[in-house]
This record gives sequence, structure tokens and C-alpha cells, in this order.
Amino acid sequence: MQSIKAFAKAVAALPRAAVFTIGAFILLGLFAPYITPYDPNAQNLLMAGEGPSLAHWLGADHLGRDTLSRLIAAARTSLVGVCLVLLCAHSIGIVIGTIAGYRRGWTDEVLMRVVDVGQAIPSLIVSLAVIGIFGVSYWNMILALALAWWPSSARISRAVAVNVMNKPHMEALRVLGASPLRIYFVHLFPATLGAVLVYATADAGAVALAIATLSFLGLGIQPPTPEWGQMLVDALPYLEADPRQVILPGLTLTLAVVGFNILGEAVALNRVPKPLGARLVAARRRITASWATETRS
Amino acid sequence: MLVFIAKRARNAVLLLFLASVLCFTLVVSAPGNVAILIAELRTPTATKEDIAKVEEELGLNKPLLERYGFWLQGALKGNLGISYKTGEDVGAALRSRLSVTATLVAGGAVVAFVLSLLVGFIGALWAHRMPDYIMRGIALLGASTPSFFVGALLVYAFSVNWHLLPTFGFSGPASWVLPWLTLGFLPAAVLSRVVRVGFEDAMAKPYVLTARSKGLSQTRILFRDALPNIAPTYLNALGTQIGTMVVGAVVVEPLFAWQGLGDLFLAGVRFRDFMVVQACLLVFITFFVILNVVVDIGITLTDPRLRRQRS
Repeated sequence: MQSIKAFAKAVAALPRAAVFTIGAFILLGLFAPYITPYDPNAQNLLMAGEGPSLAHWLGADHLGRDTLSRLIAAARTSLVGVCLVLLCAHSIGIVIGTIAGYRRGWTDEVLMRVVDVGQAIPSLIVSLAVIGIFGVSYWNMILALALAWWPSSARISRAVAVNVMNKPHMEALRVLGASPLRIYFVHLFPATLGAVLVYATADAGAVALAIATLSFLGLGIQPPTPEWGQMLVDALPYLEADPRQVILPGLTLTLAVVGFNILGEAVALNRVPKPLGARLVAARRRITASWATETRS
Repeated sequence: MLVFIAKRARNAVLLLFLASVLCFTLVVSAPGNVAILIAELRTPTATKEDIAKVEEELGLNKPLLERYGFWLQGALKGNLGISYKTGEDVGAALRSRLSVTATLVAGGAVVAFVLSLLVGFIGALWAHRMPDYIMRGIALLGASTPSFFVGALLVYAFSVNWHLLPTFGFSGPASWVLPWLTLGFLPAAVLSRVVRVGFEDAMAKPYVLTARSKGLSQTRILFRDALPNIAPTYLNALGTQIGTMVVGAVVVEPLFAWQGLGDLFLAGVRFRDFMVVQACLLVFITFFVILNVVVDIGITLTDPRLRRQRS
């Protein structure tokens, strides 16, 4: 309940533009099979390269597939992929992060050094290497991206967990004789989960972009499954004759990422409840305060 | 200062060692027997004896620790093994492609540097007015647009539509322009925000108030007082972004059909050529670790406060 409340509060405080874009992305993804006007994979070579018409609002691609339907279906591919990646990455990350934050000491040291190495290598390089070892497939792509993303999740969860553990009510619980298991599962874990969920949504844009990039390189979503990056690379040879098929998926993807980036900026600017250390919060307050006096004068 | 550099170098070597272990384990833990793979590559109807011969040849039947030592020794000498698929020397392939990626990233860095300062300065000079908001919008859009889409749009605009620049592949020095722009676009957007936010923070400091009370002009305060204070933060971010550009090269190279490191890495990934993947991974990680050390030393040199603290 606590985590749900924190999440709802955070959504209400978000910038409208982000809520609108991300909301549209999620709704399109959820209801894609019911709202696509045509079968996204149905080919009609008579329609190939056709421009926009009343029947096909955004025209058709080089195989005569309805572009609008494919764009909407791609939102679902992307949404499912992002959710799976974030679920896997955060499952690993939260467990490792809360254990490090709860235990502290050498457990913390060892786990965080592992996270350091993981974070030193850029996520695209990690996921490409994992795909290179295990081969190209949908589940390998999810696994590769999850392996690339868990370290950042672990770091955030640890920061949140340390913060929660330092709160007075934790002290009180220990004094009251609550068992370590009870403290961990009933109090620490849910509190961490709520805060990390906010980060997870802000991170979703980067994951969507990574899925599109891998698909663009031919190592992620395989044709004929519609996906924005894959649609773009598919249409690239026909750039001169039909640039619309390149521009439309690119624009849709950019729009989704813009939404998530606005969200990310809001998180970074502390407009969303953010688990910061007291020192950082104080520093930020000082900056904001000096700022306010400057604009007033 | 020397102590600081020595300490950073020691940490870097330690991290590189860990990374080399990681690279090695990644390939060892790969599913499938490598010896069978190679034996079947040589003769499709490989017998048990053929496989044993391959194992003997590559030292695959030795204990893991010995294999690691053997591999590391070779890697330090630039001998990164032989491609499982093509049979060519991986080290030589890496060296021949290095210059393409290096030129690509260097050009991209120049583009990012110039564009970010330009956009950041415009934002700072007209703070909280129309030019600032326009630049902020451009930066947000730039930071959100995938590089392959930027590249495709640039090719469409400059090559297909206006016939100003060559499209894909290499045909003279003009071919560099579009890949450079594509690669530098996203870092430019991110760095322009660093400049803009840096000015915002610096302009709220007491020394700016002093400068203002002395009657100095806004432009002078921005460039003479605030700018040196942003330099360390900016250099730090620039270092990170150069790292981002090396990763970006992996996407930009196939888009423009260039044969660089990224292209080699992708080919290795696509055909599951473990030796190539491993070698490229090692080169990338080495680069990132060295880049981090260089950036750290660079910041210390540009920031007098840190210089004093660390010497």
C-alpha cells in the first residue's frame, strides 16, 4: 500500500507533457491488437509504397503493409520489451541493492565493487557482448539488456535502502524487537520498491531506445515483428523513393523518448520525491534559495 | 600531484585486470564447444580425432588458469588470437580499423564541443528569454533522438534532397561530414545543458555579486568569472561524452557503411565470433578505463581547488 501511494503521488507531480506522451505510449501498447486498422503483417504488394489515403492514413511500406498499424503494433512490442527488461533488471538490482544497504560492511563493499565494474562498461557494449556470446534471439535480447541495466538499479536501491535504514522508525522497530527478516521484508523492501519504481519509469526511455538500437542493428527484434528501430532500418534502402517510411518510425520513437526524458529531468530536478542524502538536499535547497533571491532582485 | 596520478593509475590497472578476467570468463562460459565449432569449420565431417587435434592446438585441454595466463600474455603483446569464422588475425584486424573509428570520434568530439558551447552560450546570454527556451527545446530534442534516426535524416536532407554531400560509404573527405555530425549531435545536446546549468549555478555565487557591484558587464562576468568555474565540470562531461561517442560509433559505422572497430565488433556479435567479440570488448574497456584516468587528471589540472587538495 505504501509503495502504491508513493507511486500515485509521484505521477500526480509529473510534468503534463511527460504524462501525456508516456500515457499514450502505454495505452497504444496495451490496446494495440484492438485498435490497429489492419493486420500489421499483412502484405499487399499492390499497395507497396503508396502514400497516405483515407483507407491508409499513413500510407504503406515497400511490402504494402499498413504503416499506421505497424507503428501502433510496434508500441506494443516496445512496451512489452521494456517491461520485461525493467522487471528482470530491477528484480536483480533491488535484491542486491537492499541487501547491500541492509547489511552494510563487507557485504556492501563486495557487492558495490561488482556494481562498479558493471557500470564502468557502457550498457550497449555489455548487451552486444552478451548477444555475441549467446546468439541473436528475443529472450537473449531481454537477458542482455537486463544484464546491462541491473547495476544502476542496484546502486539506486542501495542508496534508497541506506536512507530508509537511517530513519528513526527503523531504530524504533529494532528496539521493539522486530526480527531482521520482518524489518527487511515488511519495512525496508516495500519502501525501497516504491522509490525505485519512479526511477524505473524514468529509465524506461533509455531501455526503449536500446531495444530500438539493437533492432536497428539487426540483433534485437527480428522481422516481421514490427518495432520502430527495425522498421527504420527496413525502410532505409528506400530512403530516396519513400522517406516517409524512415521518418515516421523515427519520429514516433523520438516522441516516446522525449516523454521519458522530460520525466527523467523532473526526477533529477527533485520535482518528484527523490531519495537523496540530507547533505545533497541541503545543497540543492541552498542553490534554489540563492536563485530565488537573484530573480527577485 | 604525482602521488594522485600514481594512485589513479594503480586503480586503473586493477580495474583492467578485473575486466580481462571478465572478458575471459565470458568466452569460456559461452554455450557450445569451441573445439567442435572450429573442427567443423575446417572439415564439415570432423571426427573425434579432429576435435582433439584442435583442442591440442589452441590449448583448450589445459586448466583454466593456465589458459587465462596464456591468453593474457598474448593480449599484452597485441596477439588477440585468430577469428573462429574467418581465420584472420584479430589483432591485425583491430589495428587496421582503429584509425577509422578514432577519426570518427575525434571529428564528432569537435562537433560536440563547438555546438555545445554555441548553444550553451546563447542560452546563458539570453537566460530565461526566448533564445534560451528555443535552445533548451533543441537540446531536449537532440538528447532524445536516436543517432541512427539523426543520421538517416541528415542523409536525406543533405544528400538525397540537396545533393550537397555523399551518402553512404567513402568517396573523398566530404564523406566524413555527415558521420561526424551524426555522432556529435547527441553529445552536443547533453553538453549544452551542462554549459547552461553550469552558468546558472555559477551566476548565483557570491563572486558574481561582487563582480556585478563593481559594475562589470553581464557578458564580461559570464566569460571572465563564470566560465573558468564551469571548465572542470564541462571537461568531465566531455570525457563521458567521448565514451558515449565510441559506443555511438558502433551504431553510426554500419549506418554509413564504414569499416571501423564498431563494424568489426558487430560482425563478431552477429556471427558469434567469440575471439573478435572478446578482443573488441577488451579494447573498448581499456579505452574507457584510460579515458576515465585522463579525465580525472584533466579535471585536477584545470581546477585549482582540486589541485591543492590532491597535491
